[in-house]
Amino acid sequence: MWTIEVLKSRAFRLALAFALAIAAAAAFVFTLIYLQFSTAAVQLVGARLTYEATRALDENDDELREQITQRLVSDPRRLDYAGLFDAKGALLLGDPPSLPPIRIDGRAHLASSATLGGTGRPDQAIFVAVRRVDGAILVLGQSLSEINDLRETVARALALALAPTTLLILAIGVFFARRARRRVGVIHAAIAEIMKGDLKQRLPVISVADDLDRVARDVNLMLDEIWRLLDQLRHIGDDIAHDLRTPLAVARAKIERGLERGGTIDELRAVMAEALNHLDRSAATISAFLRVSEMESGRRERRFGPVDLSAVCAGLFEFYEPLAQTKDVAIALSAPWPTLVRGDEDLLREAISNLIDNAIKFTPSGGRVRIAAATGNGRATVEVSDSGAGVPPQEREEIFRRFYRGARDNSAPGHGLGLSIVAAIAKLHGFCIAVEDNAPGARFRISGDALAIDSDEAPHDLGGAPPRRLRAPA
Amino acid sequence: MPQNASSGGKPAVLVIEDERALAEEIRYELEAEGYPVALAETRAEGLRVARAGGAAVLVVDRILNHEDGLSILEALREEGNPTPILVISALSSVDDRIRGLKAGGDDYLVKPFELRELTARVEALSRRIPDSRATRLRAGPLEMDLVERTVRRSERRVDLLPREFKLLEYFMRRPNQIITRAMLLEDVWNYKFLPQTNVVDVHIGNLRRKIDAGGEPRLIVNVRAAGFKLHVDD
Repeated sequence: MWTIEVLKSRAFRLALAFALAIAAAAAFVFTLIYLQFSTAAVQLVGARLTYEATRALDENDDELREQITQRLVSDPRRLDYAGLFDAKGALLLGDPPSLPPIRIDGRAHLASSATLGGTGRPDQAIFVAVRRVDGAILVLGQSLSEINDLRETVARALALALAPTTLLILAIGVFFARRARRRVGVIHAAIAEIMKGDLKQRLPVISVADDLDRVARDVNLMLDEIWRLLDQLRHIGDDIAHDLRTPLAVARAKIERGLERGGTIDELRAVMAEALNHLDRSAATISAFLRVSEMESGRRERRFGPVDLSAVCAGLFEFYEPLAQTKDVAIALSAPWPTLVRGDEDLLREAISNLIDNAIKFTPSGGRVRIAAATGNGRATVEVSDSGAGVPPQEREEIFRRFYRGARDNSAPGHGLGLSIVAAIAKLHGFCIAVEDNAPGARFRISGDALAIDSDEAPHDLGGAPPRRLRAPA
Repeated sequence: MPQNASSGGKPAVLVIEDERALAEEIRYELEAEGYPVALAETRAEGLRVARAGGAAVLVVDRILNHEDGLSILEALREEGNPTPILVISALSSVDDRIRGLKAGGDDYLVKPFELRELTARVEALSRRIPDSRATRLRAGPLEMDLVERTVRRSERRVDLLPREFKLLEYFMRRPNQIITRAMLLEDVWNYKFLPQTNVVDVHIGNLRRKIDAGGEPRLIVNVRAAGFKLHVDD
C-alpha cells in the first residue's frame, strides 16, 4: 500500500514534525498573549474597584445607597457587584447576598462568587471591601467571566488558525513524500537491474540538481569507474590465464610425453628439466602479477625517501658491466651529478635494472648500451638506450601493458614481465615511462619530479659531491 | 615424532608445515642432504616440539590451517629461544617479509621456491658464522686480510676489485656451504630483485679466473640447480 509507505516516508514524517512544531509554537504564543492580557485586565479591574471604594468612604449614607442602586440598575449583564452590609455582615442593600470571604482592607481580592450563594453566577470575581465610619461594610466587585470568556475566544481562534495550516503542511508532506517515493522507486528499479549484473545500467537523473540528483550522478560516476575497473580486471584475468596456462600446458604435455614414451633416464631427465622450466615461468608470472598488484594498490608509498638515481645507476652499471663485457656489448654510464627523486630505492633500482637487463639481452655482439641519469628543468631522468632491434612504433605503448609479450619474446623470455613491473613501479612513483627510437635500437626513459639537492629531505653528504664517474664506452 | 639424534653430523631440522605434500618434499630434500628432520602440522604441535629442543633450525610456514605461523616465532622469541628460523610463505609483499623478520624470523622464502634454495638457506642458518671481528680469514689455500684488503692463494697474491673482494669474503666466511644466487644478491649486493640474466654467474666467473691461476684446482664450484660453493678441504 502506497499510503502506508507514504506515511512512513521521511518527507511525510518531516512534515508531521513541522506541523507539530508550528502548532506548539502558535499555542505557546497565544497562551502567552492571553496570560499577559488577562493579568493586566484583572489588575485594571482591581485598581478601579479600589479607587471607587476609597472614594465611597467619603460619601454620606444616602448618596451611597443611591449610587449602589444606580450601579446595579445600569448593569444588565450582572457583572458588577455592589453591596452594603451592616457591621455584623448582614446585607442591607444590593448584591452579593452574603459577605465574600475576604479581608476588609480596601484592597482587591479574588474570590469565587459560588461561595456567596444566591444569584447563581458560578464565577470568579474581584472584590474590594471597606468599612465605613458607622461600621457598615461596602463591598464592590466585578465578575471575571468576561475575561474567562476571552480565554475561550482565544482558544477558538487558535484552533481556527492552526487547523488549515497543519492540514496544508501535511498535504505538502504527502506530496513530497509521494514524489520522492516515485523517484526512489525508479532509482530502486535501476539498482535492482545493476545488482542483477547489468553494470551498464545508470540511475535516472532529472536535471533539478537536488540532493537525490547529486547522489544519483555520483553513483553513476562510481558505476563508470567500477565498470572500467572490471573491464580492466577481465583483461588482466585473460592475460594471466594465458600466461599461466600456456607454460602449464607445455609442462603438462612434456611430462605426459615423458610418461608415455619412457625412454632412458637421461631422456626423462631432459623432459623433466624442460617441464620444470615452464613451471618456473608460471611461478614467475604469478609473482610478477602479485608484485604489480601490490604496487598498483599503492601500499608501499609510505616507504618513500630521497633516492639518488645517479648512485643507483652507477651501482647497476658496475653490476652489469661484466655481463656486457662477456656479451661483447660496450656499456657506458653518464651520471656525473646526483639525480635526486623521492621514491623507494629498491623499487627504482629494480626498474632500472630491468631496463638494463633487457638492453643487454636485446643488443647483439658489438653493440652498445648507455645508461644516463640527469636532472633538468626540475625533472629527473634516467635513460637506458641500446643499439638492438628497437621497438616498432606500433608497439611502443603496448609493451608497458601488463604482461605484454612482444614478437621478440620467443628469442628472449621474460621481457613482458619485466616491463610491466617497470611500468608499475613508474606509475607508483608518478613517473613517466616512454620508449623512443634510438636509431638504431631503443631508448627507454623514466622521468619524474626531481628533488632539490638543498631540500631538507636530501642526504647531506650529497650537497657538494664531486662529479660522479663518467665512463666512455670501453 | 622429533628425531633429535643427529646423524652424519648435521643438525636436526623441525619443519612446521600443514601441507603434507610440501612437508614431505622438504623432508625428503633435507634428509638427502643429511639432516634429521621432524615434521609438525599444527601450530600447537610445532610449538611443543620446538620447545622440547633438539632442533637446530626451524622451518615454519607462515599460514598453518588459517593459524598464524608467525605467532610460533613470537612465542619462542619471547621465551628466549634463539633457534634460527626460516619462514616460508605464499605472501611475497615487502610488508609481509618485513613482518616475518620482525616476528623473529632469520630468513624468509617465498613459495614456490626451489628445494635447493631452501636447503641452502637451512644450511646457512644451521652454521654460525665464526667471529666476524677477525681481521684475517683462511679457507683452504686462500688467505684474506680484511685490514690490508689483500688476498693470497698459497702465497700468490690475487688482485681483486672491491666488489670481487666482497664476494670472495662472503664465500670464505661460509666454506663448503651452498650459496645460491639469491643469497649473493641479497647479501653481497643488497639487491632485492632477481635479474633475468646470468649476471651473477658472470661475476663468479670473473672471480674464479683471478683466484684459479693456470692449472690450479677450482675453488668456487657450481652446485647443480642450486648455486655455488667454496670447496676446500679441512
